[in-house]
Amino acid sequence: MLQELSYNLRVVWACAKKDIKSALTERAFTIIGVFVPVNVLILMSLFVLAGSQAPTAVVLQDTGPYAQQFYVAMSHAHSFRLQKATEASAQDLIETGRIVAVVTIPPDFDMRIRQSQPVRVDVEVNNLNTDFTDDIRRAVPLSITSFYARALPHLVTVTPEEHDFYPQDTDYLPYLAVSILVAALMLGAVLPAGTGSAREWEKETVKELLLSPAPRWAMLVGKMLGAFLVSLASVALVLAVLILVIGVWPVHWDEVLGYTLLTLAIFIALGTLLGTLLKQRQAVVALALGSFVPLFFLSGAFGPISFATPAIQFLARIFPVYYAIVLQQHAFHNFTLNTLGTGVNVLILCGYALGVIALATIVLRRSTVAH
Amino acid sequence: MSKDVTPGATMAGRPGDASVPAIEMVELCKDFGKFRAVDHLTLTVQQGEIFGLLGPNGSGKTTTINMVSGLSVPTGGEVSVMGYDVRRDARRIQQILGSVPQETALYEELSAWTNLDFHADLFGVPRREKKERIIRMLELVQLLDRKDSRVGTFSGGMKRRLALGRALLHDPQLIYLDEPTLGVDVHSRRAIWDYIIELREQGKTVLITTNYLEEAQALCDRLAIIDHGKLIAVDTPEHLKQTYGGSVVELETVQPSDAVAQLRALAGVKDVVQDGSRLTITTQDNSNVVPQIINVISHQGEIHSIAVREPNLDEVFLRLTGTALRD
Repeated sequence: MLQELSYNLRVVWACAKKDIKSALTERAFTIIGVFVPVNVLILMSLFVLAGSQAPTAVVLQDTGPYAQQFYVAMSHAHSFRLQKATEASAQDLIETGRIVAVVTIPPDFDMRIRQSQPVRVDVEVNNLNTDFTDDIRRAVPLSITSFYARALPHLVTVTPEEHDFYPQDTDYLPYLAVSILVAALMLGAVLPAGTGSAREWEKETVKELLLSPAPRWAMLVGKMLGAFLVSLASVALVLAVLILVIGVWPVHWDEVLGYTLLTLAIFIALGTLLGTLLKQRQAVVALALGSFVPLFFLSGAFGPISFATPAIQFLARIFPVYYAIVLQQHAFHNFTLNTLGTGVNVLILCGYALGVIALATIVLRRSTVAH
Repeated sequence: MSKDVTPGATMAGRPGDASVPAIEMVELCKDFGKFRAVDHLTLTVQQGEIFGLLGPNGSGKTTTINMVSGLSVPTGGEVSVMGYDVRRDARRIQQILGSVPQETALYEELSAWTNLDFHADLFGVPRREKKERIIRMLELVQLLDRKDSRVGTFSGGMKRRLALGRALLHDPQLIYLDEPTLGVDVHSRRAIWDYIIELREQGKTVLITTNYLEEAQALCDRLAIIDHGKLIAVDTPEHLKQTYGGSVVELETVQPSDAVAQLRALAGVKDVVQDGSRLTITTQDNSNVVPQIINVISHQGEIHSIAVREPNLDEVFLRLTGTALRD
């Protein structure tokens, strides 16, 4: 029994060691494995930054206190990226397509407010993109309400009484960046593990494995361990960018570490399975890059999946990405995004990992060479 | 996994029993879709012999040994190695089998030493013996001085030698070599042949596939000729030549002879090939027909030279299959 255990552990370590050495010699694939996940994190964060706030010029024709307060109310609406401009330069900016809207505060703004007269705030919108147009259409009335609530509170008799579920507000980027982390981990794991397994078939070295008496599971676990250790570099880089550059500070550091390693393990197992099934590195890379975006969008990346339609919820719960996002949102923001509890979410992910390892073992056991 | 098949543990029982054939195939078949690559092959390889599978490319040699080693699942029939069934006891077989696949299956990005070290771990070579055995194998295949070089920098012959050293590292009972000298220079080919002969002297069983007749003749105790997945003949090279080859009479006349039709009509003449003034006559038996051949030719003109020789395996193969081996 001990002899068998010792032999199996030896096989695991031998396969891991060999795959690490092989990966280090194949620099192109190692670079892809390290930088693609970081690239994904940065690109998607930039997408969020670029898309979240509409660039808007404000022409302040009145510089009185009410006009200034209206400007402040707009800046707190979280929908505009404001810049003050003259009428001419604002016109130039909108005509050259550099801003979405021009909001003009008229010269008699303060006077009319004081005299309780109607004020016409001119809003010129470049409505080529309804996403931005709708932002403007929602945010301008919101700014007016906010302005009245602050500047003339006696006129606003209906006020919301907000009770927050969480002590802190979380911006869109920090929320989404945590989901992007999971997608980046997925890529950072599937790519090296999948290409490492497929390489054995492409270069026909798989015969060395298939002709050996070593248990298939031990070889696969060894390959996964190798890919896991290789992937740690990309994980460290992704976490560093998320925490230090994007500035998403975790609430539970221990959970971040644990869930990150667990997520990595699952996708390493999945990559190994894909590599063993597809047997071609290009196919693995294409599938990994092609599937991470739909899985990302499907798995509650932008908000709790319980807000989505029942069909989307059903689909999301099939894939491990969803559970990984739930756990990471808890680790970073202390959010509870489903009713299963962290323990059950962890168990589900462990179940995925074991299931995928078992499946990969069966695939490798049944693998033969075509001659 | 049961304890007795843990690599490094002593194999007891049948593998050591000399009466058990090293390899036994009974009505072995392999289909790829509608294509039958191996067609009801029945063969026995005895322990301690060098057995060759001879046939042209695509004849089913590699498919056959892939089934022997468990790399490919037979469509029909039975195959056993040292008494173990490949379907039920694949791991036992892998433990006693050393393999040199056609494409060598070496990790070219890694060093020679790392390749052998990895193999030793996979096959459970005892840790205390590992280093010594790797050095011994690298010495045997004359690659010790290149132990730290990447295999990708090796020539074809060096890779084959390294693959052979790797196959022997776990001290297997049976070694198969798939086209062991394919694409190898003459010097390396001779070295590989020497290693193979040495293996037989150590009591190992060697199964080789080749489409080099010279190789088959130089190495093999027995040969199976395979074509289109079927067994055509099996015997020692000498018997094959005697049984299927007859003798070959090579004649050169002063003037091109016009007696070809007459020669073909002689009883005991199987084939006549004319190339200008040269005639190559294949006979079934040289005891009676050679004087008659000389008689016919001498009536047509003067004989410049005459030689009677044994047929080569190419001629045997041509006789048996109707095609040349290198077609």
